[in-house]
Amino acid sequence: MDEFAVKLKDVRRTYRTGPIEVPALRGVTLSIGAGEFAATAGPSGSGKTTLLNIIGGLDRADTGEIWVAGQNLQVLSAGELAHLRLQRIGFVFQTYNLLPVLTALENAEFTLLLQGMPARQRREKVEKLFSEIGLAGLEDRRPAELSGGQQQRVAVARAMVTEPALILADEPTANLDSASAIALLDVMEQLNQTTGTTFLFSTHDPQVMERAHRLIRLRDGQITGDETRGSQGAAVTRLAG
Amino acid sequence: MTNLYLLVKISWRNLWRNPRGTLLTALALGLGLALLLISLGLLDGGHEQTIADGVRFGPGHVVVQAKGYQDSSSDELLLPAQVVSNIEGFLQTGKIKQVVRGVSPRLLATGLLSTSASSAGVRVVGVIPKDDRAVSLIPQRMVEGTWLTSDDKLSGVVIGDELARKLELKIGSKAVLMTQSLQPPGSKPVSVDGDEMQSTLLRVSGIFRTGLQAIDANMIFVPLSAAQALLGVSDGQVTQVALLLVKEGDSPLVARALRKQLTGSPVEVLTWRESLPMLAQILGLDHAFNYIMNGVILAMVGLGILNTILMRVLERRYEFGVSKALGLRPRQLAVMVVGESLALTAISLTLGLVLGLSVQHYFATAGLDLRWVFKAGLPPALVFDPILYSRLSVARIVWSVSIVFAMATIISFYPALKAAQTDLPDALKVL
Repeated sequence: MDEFAVKLKDVRRTYRTGPIEVPALRGVTLSIGAGEFAATAGPSGSGKTTLLNIIGGLDRADTGEIWVAGQNLQVLSAGELAHLRLQRIGFVFQTYNLLPVLTALENAEFTLLLQGMPARQRREKVEKLFSEIGLAGLEDRRPAELSGGQQQRVAVARAMVTEPALILADEPTANLDSASAIALLDVMEQLNQTTGTTFLFSTHDPQVMERAHRLIRLRDGQITGDETRGSQGAAVTRLAG
Repeated sequence: MTNLYLLVKISWRNLWRNPRGTLLTALALGLGLALLLISLGLLDGGHEQTIADGVRFGPGHVVVQAKGYQDSSSDELLLPAQVVSNIEGFLQTGKIKQVVRGVSPRLLATGLLSTSASSAGVRVVGVIPKDDRAVSLIPQRMVEGTWLTSDDKLSGVVIGDELARKLELKIGSKAVLMTQSLQPPGSKPVSVDGDEMQSTLLRVSGIFRTGLQAIDANMIFVPLSAAQALLGVSDGQVTQVALLLVKEGDSPLVARALRKQLTGSPVEVLTWRESLPMLAQILGLDHAFNYIMNGVILAMVGLGILNTILMRVLERRYEFGVSKALGLRPRQLAVMVVGESLALTAISLTLGLVLGLSVQHYFATAGLDLRWVFKAGLPPALVFDPILYSRLSVARIVWSVSIVFAMATIISFYPALKAAQTDLPDALKVL
């Protein structure tokens, strides 16, 4: 296992709309260790989602170095990025983003299908994961027949089922009620502890910030704070300003 | 393979996310195919009928006549008797006999038919009554009296109803036919006293109506022997030998065989396309116009389909973005959209075939009655049965389905390309 799941060095990203330039990331340097359960927090427009998208290979930085699962994303082609996403990164989106025409089980096995895993092995894997995260019995339901919390758990299953090195979750609890959000965090924390998968969230949600083992604060595209909670729950400031 | 199965499954299910929209789109494309099949069926049926009627009111599928007759229409140009017997003998042999339905030697001339009421210029057609019945449609269009019989000999004549009205003729009425003797170049005058004008008294034995003014007001039919005697033509000489074939498609084959057989004789062997060039041109123009119209219909339907598929793709940009984020490659996204489009096309083609072939079957059996359109009479240039019967060959159906399928497939490439080009950060609204 790599020592670091993610390593960023002086990453910059500016969006341009006509003559207007909006700097989303302004020189972010960051390392996320393998197996961490970390969150980025900050106000809207602080660059949280941009950071996650760049780490996930969904967007490209203008300058800087981005290493994920031992690979330099800046030199990978679109096809190689797609392969990396499929094999090594899992995504959980704010609005669940399950494919509406597939059942819960089919959604969860979507990435395994893309990987070409045989049907029997696929099904066994998904059913085991479903029972672990409280989705047993819901396999044949379409997304529209599931609650928000259940849909998000299916999205987590979809992200986890390929056993990725890194799961990126963009405000995963934003559309959930408190109880569902806590249940989802329980599931993700449990998976983090049992599988050692690295989790990186972006969030506004104080509950997520509270549960994260490490909290990276962003403002105006820069890291303004980085707290690691010790085993006793005490926050340790690593970097500020 | 597994991936393809997944993509096909997603495509098929995507199609039914909006069943009403899918069915309406399928119906639009299906209607395009149905219209194509119906119009091609009516066009082919109409043309088949027009050709069948045209050749049977005219010189048959294949005609043999003296060289130069087609261009000059000179009545003096006659086929020698030995050529006629050579033709008749050849048509009784081998495979040719099986494809020929009827053979009618005809002697053509112009004349003046007079009664006490009036007189009119006419085209005289001398025929062997029994032989012409196998070739011409006129014997089937008798409205009064009967077609010629061999007993009519010199006195019987069959005329059109327009001419009968003009000359106030009825069955049994008498009329005088005046003609000029035919003197083939180099021959001696047949008339004993040297007078080239001949006249004879005829009795109307039958009146026909074709609906075609050019025929009903101008043509009169008399027995061949009577015509030969009147025109001073020796036995066996005729203007043309008209052939009716079992299948129109055999015309070039039979014409080629006859040309070979008659090599060295001063004759011309023409298919109906050569002997009725105006009819061939009208049908050709009709074909071209129909293809253009069908092209326009298909283009309109195609643009509708393009719009629908493109809208479906653009509506799902976010979903495509998510799929791409999860690892679906652009090529796989494109396959998914093309698959969806092909599934839609398959439904459309099924609907179109059911609809188009049902209507085609109705028009093939009951016919499309256009008599109300042509109340004032048919255009003289057209030999046209006003009841159209649809005819659609398997090859035409395959061609039509292939055209629509190819069009829908090509059309789906653009939306597929748009889906494949889904820009990830933009589709996921990252800013």
